[in-house]
Amino acid sequence: MRTGLLLVFLLASGSALAADELHLYNWNNYISEGTVERFEKFCNCKLVQDYYGDNEEMLAKLAAGATGYDIIVPTQNAVDSLIKQNALKPLDKSLLPNLKNINPEYLNLDFDPGNKYSVPYAYSTTVIGYNEQKLQELGLPIDTWAVIFEPEYLTKVKGRVTVLDSQRELMAAAMRYLGYSINDTDEEKWKQARDLIIRAKPYWAAFNAQSYIKELTVGNIWLAHGYSNDFFQAALDAKKAARKFTINWRIPKEGAVIGMDNMVVHKSGPRQDLAHKFINFMLEGENSAELTNFIGAGNPNAAALPYIKPEIAQNPAIFPNPETIKHLEFMKDLDRKQRRVMSRMWTEIKLKQGEDDSTYWKGLAVLLGLFVFAVLGLAAYKGLAAPRRHAT
Amino acid sequence: MINLLNTTRVTKWLVSGPPFLYLTLFFLLPSLIMVVASFRYPGDYGGLAPLFGVEPGKETGLTLETYRFFFSDFIYTQIFIKSFGVAMASTLVCLLMAYPLALLIAHSPRKHRDFMVLLVILPFASNFLIRVYAWMIILGPQSAFSLAVNHLLGWFGIAPVPLLFSSFAVLVGMVYVHLPFMVLPLYTNLEKHDPVLLDAAQDLGANAWNRFWKVTWPLSLPGVYSGAALVFIPVLGMFAIPDILGGTGDILIGNLIKDQFLGTRDWPFGSTLSIMLTIAVLLLAGITAMISRQGVRQ
Repeated sequence: MRTGLLLVFLLASGSALAADELHLYNWNNYISEGTVERFEKFCNCKLVQDYYGDNEEMLAKLAAGATGYDIIVPTQNAVDSLIKQNALKPLDKSLLPNLKNINPEYLNLDFDPGNKYSVPYAYSTTVIGYNEQKLQELGLPIDTWAVIFEPEYLTKVKGRVTVLDSQRELMAAAMRYLGYSINDTDEEKWKQARDLIIRAKPYWAAFNAQSYIKELTVGNIWLAHGYSNDFFQAALDAKKAARKFTINWRIPKEGAVIGMDNMVVHKSGPRQDLAHKFINFMLEGENSAELTNFIGAGNPNAAALPYIKPEIAQNPAIFPNPETIKHLEFMKDLDRKQRRVMSRMWTEIKLKQGEDDSTYWKGLAVLLGLFVFAVLGLAAYKGLAAPRRHAT
Repeated sequence: MINLLNTTRVTKWLVSGPPFLYLTLFFLLPSLIMVVASFRYPGDYGGLAPLFGVEPGKETGLTLETYRFFFSDFIYTQIFIKSFGVAMASTLVCLLMAYPLALLIAHSPRKHRDFMVLLVILPFASNFLIRVYAWMIILGPQSAFSLAVNHLLGWFGIAPVPLLFSSFAVLVGMVYVHLPFMVLPLYTNLEKHDPVLLDAAQDLGANAWNRFWKVTWPLSLPGVYSGAALVFIPVLGMFAIPDILGGTGDILIGNLIKDQFLGTRDWPFGSTLSIMLTIAVLLLAGITAMISRQGVRQ
C-alpha cells in the first residue's frame, strides 16, 4: 500500500515536471546556449531540444508519426508542405506582441499569407564560399556563378571545388546562372541546367553537404557552393586555427536561393502556451541577435540590429542590400511529378562519367558478365565434379 | 512417450517462437508493406497517396506506373550494373586480403588465435562513420599517405592524383569496413581443417601450390561463399561510404534509394528500387544454388 502511494506520488511529480517542458525540434546548432538558459529562467520551464540536419529528415520523421514537438523551425517550403498536410496549429497573435519587430519585407510571404502559422526565425543564402588568397592568386571572379560552372575558370581550380549534394539547390544555382527563376518548372530549362552541370562536373571534386566546411578550413578545397551560415563557421574556424588564408563568401550577382526558417507550432505539441511564450521571447531583438552573432545567420528582426556585432551587420553577404535582395528567391516545393522528373535528371547527372561514357559502360558490363560467368561456371563445375568423384 | 514428444514440440516453439515472431513483425511485414507501397502513387508532400479515392480526379489506388518508369529508362539499370560492379570488386579485394590473413591466424599457435581474432574484430569497437571519416583525413591531399603515394607516382612520371573523393576511395572504404566479415567465416572454416590432409598430400608428392589448390582451397569454399555473401550484399546497399568518400560520379543503388525517401520524397519509386535490388540478389544467389544442386543430382 505504501509503495503504491509512493508510486502515485512519483508519477504525479513526474507529470508535474513534464508539465513544464517545452519540446523544440530545431536544426543542429541553431540556438545559442545563452538564449536557452535565459529562456528557461524566464519561463521557469525546461527547454528540451531535438535536432535535424535537413528539412527532408524532419518531414520524414514527422511523416513516420513522430509526435510531442511543440515548436519546429522548418524552411519555407517545408512550412508550406506542413500547412497543406494540416500539421500546424494557427498562431494566436495576441500572445505575440513582438511580431511587430519583424521587418515587414519578411512577413506575409506567399507560403503562409498573413503569417497564420509561421513567424520568421532566421535566414540563410546559398552562395559561393572561397579561399580569398587562392582565388586572388588565380585571378578568378568571386561574384558570379560562372566560376563554378564555366570550364574556362574551372580548369584553374580542378579538383578543388565542391557543390552541394542537393538536387534542388544545385539546379537552382544553374537556373539563376542561365537567367531563369529557381521556381521555373519548364522541363526544357531544367535540361539546359542539367547539361550545364554535367559539363562542369568533371572539374568538381565532390557533391558535398557537410564536410566542405572542414575541407575549406584546412585548405583542401578552394571554392564551394554552400550555405552562408556554413561559410561563416568555416571563416571563424580558419581564423581560430591561425591559417595563412581567410575564408569569405559572396552572393553571386545573378542571384541566389534564400531560405527562411520559421517557427511553427506543431499540432501534436502539448504546450501551446509555452510555445507562444518561446516565439515571443525569440522575437525580442536581443534574443534574436544572439543567434546571428553565434552562427552568422541573416536576421529578419529589425529590433535585433542594434545588438548585432558590427562586422556581421555590415557584411553584405549576411545582410544583403536592397539591390541584391531583388535577386534572391525563396524556393517553392515541387509537386510529385516534377520531383520525379528532377530526380531522374539528378540521377543522370550523378551517373555521367564525362561527355562520352559509352566505353566505360561497355567495359563494366563485360567485366560483370565475366564475373557472373565465372561464378556460374564454378558452381556448375562443383556440382558436376562432385558426384563423379563419388562414382569412381 | 507422446507426452515427451509434446513437451519437446512445445520447447521447440518456445525457443524458436520469439525470433520467428520478431522476424515476422519487423522484417516480413515491413517488406510486404514495401511491396504494396511500390504499387501505390506518391503523396503530394512525401509519403503515399491515399489508397482509396477521397477527391475525384486525384490518382489513388494501385498502379504499375512506377515499375514502368523503372524499366522505361536505362539509367536505373546502369546504376544496378555499376553497383554490382563495385560490390564484385570489393568482394574480390576482400577475399584476396582476407584469405592469407585467415590462413595465418588458423596456422598460428592455438594460444595466440583468440587474441588475433580479437584484433580483427577490434575496429567494431568504434563507430563505423567515425572510421570512414578517418579515411577522409588519411586520403586527403595534405596527408602523409597521399603525399607519399604521389611522390612515388612522380618517380614514374605520373602526375599527382587526388585520392579522396574518387572511386578508389570508395573501394578502399568498402574493403576496410567489410574486411572482418570476410576474415571471420574464412578463419572459422580454415581452423577446422585437419593438418593430416596436408601431410598426406605432401607424402603423395603434392608441392605447396597443389596442396593449397587441391586440398585447402576446395575445403574452404563454404567459408569463401559465406564470406562473399556477407561482403557482397551489404556493399550493394551501402550509401554512407560513397556519400562521404566518393567523387562526383560515385552514385550507387543505395544512394539512389536513400534519395527517393529523403530528397525526392518518392516512396513508391524507392520501394520499387529496393524490390528490384532484392530480386536481383535473389536471382544471382538462386541461379548459383540451382546450378550446383542440379549438378549434384546428375
